[in-house]
Amino acid sequence: MNALLVSRLFGQLVETNAFPLAVWETIYLTFASAAVAYLIGLPLGVLLAVTDRGGLKPILWLNKIVGIVVNIFRSIPFIILMVALIPVSRAILGTSIGNGAMIFMLVVAAAPYVARMVESSLKEVDAGVVEAAKSMGASTFQIIRKVYLPEAKPSLLVGAVISTVTILGYSAMAGTIAAGGLGALAVTQARPSNAQDVIWLCVLLIVIIVQIIQELGMYLATRTDKRVRVKGRKKKAKAE
Amino acid sequence: MIELKNLTKIYPSKAGETVALENIDLVIPDGSVFGVIGLSGAGKSTLVRCLNLLEKPTRGQVLIDGEDITAVSKKRLGELRRSIGMIFQNFNLLEQRTAAANVRFPLELSKVPREEAKKRVEELLSLVGLSEKADSYPSQLSGGQKQRVAIARALATNPKYLLCDEATSALDPTTTESILQLLKKINRELGVTIVVITHEMRVVESICTDVAVLDQSRVAEAGKVEEVFSFPQSEIAKQLIIPGLIRSLKGSEANKLRLVFHGETSDTPVISGLAMECGVPANILYADTRRIDGKTFGHMVIELPQDERQITAAKQYLRAHSVVFKEEI
Repeated sequence: MNALLVSRLFGQLVETNAFPLAVWETIYLTFASAAVAYLIGLPLGVLLAVTDRGGLKPILWLNKIVGIVVNIFRSIPFIILMVALIPVSRAILGTSIGNGAMIFMLVVAAAPYVARMVESSLKEVDAGVVEAAKSMGASTFQIIRKVYLPEAKPSLLVGAVISTVTILGYSAMAGTIAAGGLGALAVTQARPSNAQDVIWLCVLLIVIIVQIIQELGMYLATRTDKRVRVKGRKKKAKAE
Repeated sequence: MIELKNLTKIYPSKAGETVALENIDLVIPDGSVFGVIGLSGAGKSTLVRCLNLLEKPTRGQVLIDGEDITAVSKKRLGELRRSIGMIFQNFNLLEQRTAAANVRFPLELSKVPREEAKKRVEELLSLVGLSEKADSYPSQLSGGQKQRVAIARALATNPKYLLCDEATSALDPTTTESILQLLKKINRELGVTIVVITHEMRVVESICTDVAVLDQSRVAEAGKVEEVFSFPQSEIAKQLIIPGLIRSLKGSEANKLRLVFHGETSDTPVISGLAMECGVPANILYADTRRIDGKTFGHMVIELPQDERQITAAKQYLRAHSVVFKEEI
């Protein structure tokens, strides 16, 4: 009876505490990569938005070059990018396998994506507000720091949620280069031994993680957005 | 004093060039409330943006107190911009900042110490009558309140000039009036020179001392408001100022007169005077007069009987009572 419902692998994995470890590794890979991807992608996104035609400081050639590089990286399917990055990773990190290498590859894939997300968030900022800041004598740097980024904050947070979920999706391919996480567990261990129950549990856990990231992120984005009128507030404003 | 000399702005466009401003010469005296009026597309918004170089003129000079701002360094331009406040049709407040933080914004830009900035913000919010809304976000404020915050923000750095780009065009008449009164107060009490860009006649009537009428990228005429409004010279000014007149009374005849009220006419009830004292019955064809600060402004068109003697008598009566009238309507 037991053998019918639960695979042998499932039992082994539970005994070795493999599921909590895989969950942790997935979260770790995702957030570490997202953090580094933002470190690179945020300035790139700002650069793209600011140097574009009609931007704060149009430098069209620079915008074109960065735009093309970003597009090239974004158009390569992740699994192929990984293979291509194996020698690069070896040259830079000294290894092309494991979680470290995986984070490197995720960052390379995600940073251009993040840059575009940031760019589109910044472009949503009302041009009139930017003009007002200019009329007050604000420098380009002051406008970026005090107008663009704070005004785009809710949209940037939404973008961060989408980027993080995308990175989490990519991280499932970690098994290919012997890194860990739920994806690797499902692909490299459960699939060969045909342990359907393990695969479905991995799927379920990933869905739960995505839901948590999504809900938490959106909650934060809505809460920080001062344009959103909370019901109580609206009534108060009207009454006065 | 702001002087525009030979100011020209041309936008390159796909179909050649678009001329937004052509050879504009204007003097905006210190202490004035200077109105720039014109139809949409006349170049008003471009003009006001040239005053703080949000738009770079193609040719010509913009002199702020004698300094040509088209030729200054970036750093100096930043300083100059701090001495020129600006407010906008859509308020352009930072949506993620409270009213107080919006007013504090220009102070942060010029690195005013926090305590000093806090005090200044309180003063400014109280000046515009919004002290109790300090912690409200723009989304919680009405249009008029938003514009008040914008005015407080524009005044934070003690500017000598305040540029208003269609500042009341998005507001209802009552709110418009209260914002105009606030601007008037700022002009009188703080001595700030105000430039008002608008397409609304009543804005100019209500607060401006001087006015320039813009038409198709050029200045059609400029002068004191009483002058221009009472005796408009250019076609466009006549159209803007006395539109009903021109439409309804084209083909003027000798028995029609346009009476001009420009604040100096006595309180004599002239129409009934005409009837009772001269025995000349007058027909009112058009009238648009209003009292501002106890003075009457506006126009009235009357029709007299087709009789030379009566017309002459009426004119004599009007002259005697120092009523200004025009025959060509």
